[in-house]
Amino acid sequence: MSSKSYEEIFSDFEEITNHFDRNDQYFDILYDSISSTNIVKTPSSEDFSINVKKSGIVARTFLGPWKEVAINENSDINVIKKRIPKLVKKGDAIAEFEAWKINKEIIPKIDPLTVPIDEKIKKVRNIFNYIKNSDDRIINVQIKYLELLIERIFVNNEGCRLRQVIPRARVFIIPIAREGSVVDYDYFAKSGEMGFEIFDLIDNDLLDNTIKNSLEMLNAKQPPSGRKTIILDPQMAGLIAHESFGHGLEADQVLRERSYLKQHLNQQVASEISSIYDTPSLDKQLGSYLFDDEGIRAGKNVLVENGILKNFIYDRRSASELKAKPQGNGRRESFAHPINPRMTNTYFGSGDYELNEMISEIKDGVMLEHGYFGMEDPLGGGMQCTSKKAYLIENGEKTKILKATALSGDVLNLLMNIDGISKDILKLDGGTCGKGTEDYVPVTSGGSYLRAKNALISPG
Amino acid sequence: MSSEKLDLIETILRSKKIEEYEIFLIKKAIVETMFLKNNIENEREIEYFEYFIRTLTQKEDRTGIGVIKGNSLDPSQIEKNVDTSVLLSKINSSFKYSFPTDAKISPLKTADPKILNDALAIKKDLAEVLITEASQQKDVSTTFGRFRIHNNNSFLRNSNGLNLEAKKTYFFIEFALKAQANGKLSEFWDVGYYKEKEHLNLKKRVSDWARKAKDTLKAEIPKSASDAIVIFPPSVLKEAFTSVIGTHAIAKTYVEKLSRFNIGDKVASDTISLIDDGLLNGGLNSNSWDSEGNPHQTTDVIKNGIFQNRLYDQIYAIKENVESTGNARRAENGTVVNGLSNFEILPGDISFKEMISNIKEGYYIEQFSWLHPEAISGNFGAEIRNGYYIKNGEFKNPIKLGNVSGNVLEMVKNCEYVSKEREFTGDTLFPYMAFKNLNVSS
Repeated sequence: MSSKSYEEIFSDFEEITNHFDRNDQYFDILYDSISSTNIVKTPSSEDFSINVKKSGIVARTFLGPWKEVAINENSDINVIKKRIPKLVKKGDAIAEFEAWKINKEIIPKIDPLTVPIDEKIKKVRNIFNYIKNSDDRIINVQIKYLELLIERIFVNNEGCRLRQVIPRARVFIIPIAREGSVVDYDYFAKSGEMGFEIFDLIDNDLLDNTIKNSLEMLNAKQPPSGRKTIILDPQMAGLIAHESFGHGLEADQVLRERSYLKQHLNQQVASEISSIYDTPSLDKQLGSYLFDDEGIRAGKNVLVENGILKNFIYDRRSASELKAKPQGNGRRESFAHPINPRMTNTYFGSGDYELNEMISEIKDGVMLEHGYFGMEDPLGGGMQCTSKKAYLIENGEKTKILKATALSGDVLNLLMNIDGISKDILKLDGGTCGKGTEDYVPVTSGGSYLRAKNALISPG
Repeated sequence: MSSEKLDLIETILRSKKIEEYEIFLIKKAIVETMFLKNNIENEREIEYFEYFIRTLTQKEDRTGIGVIKGNSLDPSQIEKNVDTSVLLSKINSSFKYSFPTDAKISPLKTADPKILNDALAIKKDLAEVLITEASQQKDVSTTFGRFRIHNNNSFLRNSNGLNLEAKKTYFFIEFALKAQANGKLSEFWDVGYYKEKEHLNLKKRVSDWARKAKDTLKAEIPKSASDAIVIFPPSVLKEAFTSVIGTHAIAKTYVEKLSRFNIGDKVASDTISLIDDGLLNGGLNSNSWDSEGNPHQTTDVIKNGIFQNRLYDQIYAIKENVESTGNARRAENGTVVNGLSNFEILPGDISFKEMISNIKEGYYIEQFSWLHPEAISGNFGAEIRNGYYIKNGEFKNPIKLGNVSGNVLEMVKNCEYVSKEREFTGDTLFPYMAFKNLNVSS
């Protein structure tokens, strides 16, 4: 735990920042601290751990390449002065952005710090026991609870003096069912910028539904392979917006000439009814914050408007090189990880269809539900997104349940083939997103229900 | 310096009369070069440490385990950390557990002395070799890359007198080469950890990437097949075996009634023999001790297709009244979990080239978008990113897109060939393997 107050950290940071003149070079410094409580319960184990404000500092300058140094918060801060080189007249190497100040702590409805640890554990045990005793076919239950308190303090030599404290919470519930030799499950996950009130969102009806969903998976059949008209639920829509489409818009991929979307700026990339956004400034979402890890104010990024590609997703460097306005997408996993342009809350805008109407117009199709995982292909524009389950649609009705179903093929073909979007309000689901296979940051993705023709599905 | 930190924490634990405690401290030094095209984009130097304190409270037939993670060396904060750990252990209710005692642990060399001496210089040299090799490849260009050297120093002390130290060095490479012709684009994007400098083999590795990127430019969508024979390289097999076979081999899955494996059961083809080896020379997870201080060992998991042994950490070993097999892993949050060390599949008696020549019609999948099998059921379905269609014993054309699906637990019972050649991919040493009855859709 830092023995220093945030005022002292600001003061130290300003002193070291004054050492680097903006006319000569860009310099910034970030304090990152994370406190967490983690409770995992399975039939044979209870794992409790508390992370007590692990903190570190990362400082960097721009020489053409970046040069950055990361250390523990309790290390000698003068290491930074020694290792970050002083330059002369290199200030123009990267553009200047807004100098601003903020100091804000987001207060959750129920501050986890005010809740005794045994009460948190009791909540987890109660959920576990409720599910375990619900049905003989439930053979295993896994509950995960994670609460986080993240503090970031940022100072640069353009005049930014920023501090934010953000609470985040996550609950993950998996009832595993067995009947004969078939073992399968569905799951429930909830997360957001919130505190202990996350448990207020979990009542017995929700648990009963989660159990029912897992039991239903015991009857799931293998999905068909081939091209079908599909409906994607908001989670699957979010997976497409994020994994298959959004990663190709991260502007580092544009600088690398590794984005299949570079050539499509201001062109049609999706059907006219489709709009896609990335918005770090959304209220109370897992991917929300006030400023990114480069001191850029969180904004709203219109990525696709009525089918036309409008914007990429920028960090400080890519915005500078591409002469764009960054919206706060420069993110680090922690002080020990690098900055990359990253998504935050990424979603499809809603449409004007009723879901039932969308289903009723399909003679032979599949509805993919519960987005499970997906992988990016920023150069090729390929798509691999898998749903935990799906349903056959036969003659306008949702019928048999199917096992995990993979959606693959060309993402732009899928987006151009979207012919229906439901009018449901935006639904976002949280998770973590890696850049390739590492550098995980919290994000959400979602939208409403989408319908697309001629989509390639197979067992997932 | 690190022993002073351990002494400080241990003194506080003793002053509070904590009878059963464990301190795990890890110091990490990382140097990295990131590339944008053929130029350096970012030079990074990272140094930090963190520690985990575990304390136990013994109850009648259970044990409470408390875990705290932190990096403060302020004595008053360490005192608070210890108090919190004790509080957690009073509430926690785990199977009966005690820390390992001071067993005989033989030293194992897991660090390169040259890296310990000057990691920055070695990183600079190797990063230069990497980017020079890449820039010399014809008809491809670098889009981005990362090259990193890790230098970890771990310490474990417990109230039973264990006092262990380990140094480990290893590498990380992520690199993408792009090919372009006639308006078409393709790439080969590789990511991996490598324990030893010899495993990097940068010249050959970069040249292979370039060939694969160029071949993918000519890739066709594979034709569908419901009973296809498919060959996977070691890097793909790693994803299939560690998640699914690993899950069914660990004791926790058995105790929780989720394992499909019983000792003596035929779970794979005769050609498959799989070992968990915490001492594997060149294995990413090799160390003389596991994350709670039990000695690492070599354990037969599957021998000629028969399931031989479960993998135990201390808590499940006590529960099942057996010896730990050294299969405790430290989770990111500091808890100790039952896991794998390094997986090794014994080589077969056929070369990779012979394997191809024996196949009348099939597929070789160099890389999926993401092979992410469901660990309990073994089901998988993944998009082909780079591969080849095999016809009459040779690669006919590259393939891309389309999907391969199946079930890992069934797939391992349908193994046709295991190659003589094996490769390290992080914590696995695997051959190339061919499986029949898989589904390819496009």
